[in-house]
Order: sequence, then C-alpha cells, then structure tokens
Amino acid sequence: MAATRRLQKELGDLLSEGSPLKKSFRDIVVDESNILLWHGLIVPDNPPYNKGAFKIEISFPAEYPFKPPKVLFKTKIYHPNIDEKGQVCLPIINAENWKPATKTDQVVASLLSLINDPEPEHPLRGDLAEEFTKEKKKFLKNAEEFTRKYSEKRPAD
Amino acid sequence: METNSGDVNQTTFDPTFQHPYSPARLPETVRPSKSQDLKSRFKNLRKTRGDGNCFYRAFGFAYLETLLTNGKEYKRFFETAQKSKDDLIGLGFPQFTLEDFHDTFMDVVKMVEKPGTTAALVEAFNDGGLSDYFVVYLRLLVSGHLQQNADSYIYFIDGERTIKEFCSQEVEPMGKESDHIHIVSLTKALQVPICVEYMDREGDKCNSFTFNPFEGTADSADATPVFTLLYRPGHYDILYPL
Repeated sequence: MAATRRLQKELGDLLSEGSPLKKSFRDIVVDESNILLWHGLIVPDNPPYNKGAFKIEISFPAEYPFKPPKVLFKTKIYHPNIDEKGQVCLPIINAENWKPATKTDQVVASLLSLINDPEPEHPLRGDLAEEFTKEKKKFLKNAEEFTRKYSEKRPAD
Repeated sequence: METNSGDVNQTTFDPTFQHPYSPARLPETVRPSKSQDLKSRFKNLRKTRGDGNCFYRAFGFAYLETLLTNGKEYKRFFETAQKSKDDLIGLGFPQFTLEDFHDTFMDVVKMVEKPGTTAALVEAFNDGGLSDYFVVYLRLLVSGHLQQNADSYIYFIDGERTIKEFCSQEVEPMGKESDHIHIVSLTKALQVPICVEYMDREGDKCNSFTFNPFEGTADSADATPVFTLLYRPGHYDILYPL
C-alpha cells in the first residue's frame, strides 16, 4: 500500500529531533497494527489556549495521499473553528483542495496556526465567533476558564 | 463524465468511434460525420478512466508507449524528467513528498527500457499506486512550468487569482480537469509536441489542434506530434492512426 510507505517516512520526520513542531505537536502515538490512525498532543503558544494542551486524532484514508487525512479533537476546546464533536474545518485538508504533495507536518502547522489565531470569518460555532468578534474580553475569559477546566496538562518542558 | 473500470483500458478498442454519451446528452451538433472523419484517419481508440485525471493519464500512457520504439527520445526525456525534480524543489515544493512522487514516476518511466512492452505499461497504468503517483507528478510539472513562466500565463487564467493560486486550485489537486492551459504547459514542460482531435460542436469534421512546445522559441526541433488524443467534451482518450 502506497500510504504505508509514505506515512512511515512522514512519521519518522515528525518524531525526529530536528522536527520544527517538536514542542507544539508531541506524544505522537501510532498503533503498530494501524499506521492510518495517529494520536498526538497539540500544545498551543497563544492565550487563552496556552493554559493547556489538546489531544487530537489524525486519521488517514487507505487512499492516502490521494485523499486527505481527517483531524479530530479528542479534548474539548472553546474555539470558533472547532465544533462540540471536535471537528475542525481546515482548508488545507478540504477534500476539494487537497494536494497529494502536502505533508502531514504542514497540516499540523496549519492546525496550530488556526488554534493560536482563530478565524471567526468562517466559524463552525457561530456563537463563539460572534463572542470572539464582538466581546473579545469575555471570549478570552470564557476560553481560558474552559481551557483550565477541560484541557490536558501541558508537558513540563 | 464517462467512467470505465480501469485507469487505462487494455482491450476497449473502439473502432466505431461512436459517441459514448446517451442520446439524450449527445449535443445535436456532434454529427455522425465526425465519427466518419475519425474512422478515415485512425484505426483505434484506447479509453482512459473518466476521473478528472484523464488528460494526464492519457498523455503519460501514450507518450511512454511511443518511447518503447524511440530510444533517442527516451534518453532525452529521461534526462529532462530526472532533472525536473531539482527545479520543482527550487520552486518550494516540499522536498520529501516531491521525492516520493518523483521516485515512483521514474520507476514507471524506467519500465520503457526493461525492455518494456505495451502490456507492461497497461498493467502499470492500471495499478492505482503507480498510475496515480504518475499523474500527481505530471500535475506538479504543469504547476512548476506555470509558476516559472507566470508572466506569460497570468492573462489566460479565469478569475482574479495569482498563478500560484490557480495551480493550487486547478492543477495540483487530483481529479481537477485539464484545459488548454494545462496541455500547453505540460507539452512545454516536457518538450513534447502532441495533437488533439476535438470532437465538439463546431464543423462537420473533428477539429485538430497541434500543441507545439517550440512555437515562439528559438528551438527548431521537430514539432511533428508524437501522439494524438481525442477530446470529447469533458474527456480525453488516446487515438491510434491508421
């Protein structure tokens, strides 16, 4: 399967010491029996999400890299672009625009930038987007409280 | 859009050149005379899968098939293809994925010299892993050529977008159909002249158009088309001359 060969190389790159995402995407776990399903921990830099960390799941279709992977949040997050089920709308992995040459680290980098800087122009949660745009202070307070309450513990380093 | 089971069909030679669409969809201006016209000049048609990648797949297969009997052109193409990787990396494509596609692309290209056979190429082009990798790399070549020559193409794209945006929306994603600009780019990127017979609305005969990659350049290389594709609205297949 073409997907396996490529994913093994991609995973190797992400796990290597030299990975630029080493600090912000970590604890990557891939079951030996299924290279198509990855788990990892997103560690954002920007407030209000820098009070916690977030588990995500990346699932690759058997047709990878000709079809895009899917990203799902397993930790609850108060964010205009992520819905209550953990689904995220990320243009880089939109089926219509997916480019087979796109690497998973680009997908993760794009996800990190969306987490750090929400895009209220195309929200999955209209209520949060409105709060983000119109009542920024309230949004930040709510999001920080939510993050403290529900998110994962940030790694010590 | 027409759909076949395989990517490149081994046995679906269709010497009748009947239009594949149901009568309800057949534009009334596509006259039987166009089929007659093709029959008088071509002996066979090889169908390709109608999945939006048909131009690239038809181009790849038809071209490699001609290289089976043209060692000199194979050598030239091999070197062009080999070198193209660094050009694309220079344009900022991610090296790791690009190398992955390039390696497989070259594996398919090398099938020509084993010595290769049409049957082996058919098998390769019907193997999703190889065939789709090959298509991706051709798409990257088109994207690379457009980006390198952005000034010449910027007035030929629809909508207010940059060449880079056009490439990332209309060239690089799988399944995006090819237009005139894609064909011009691929023939120029690889320096391969081809002919397309257009079985569309105008006229009593098919309209034949030669894509000459040397046009407007100082290069006086032979511009005789190395193969011919048939275009019926939305789809490309391969034609074999009499």
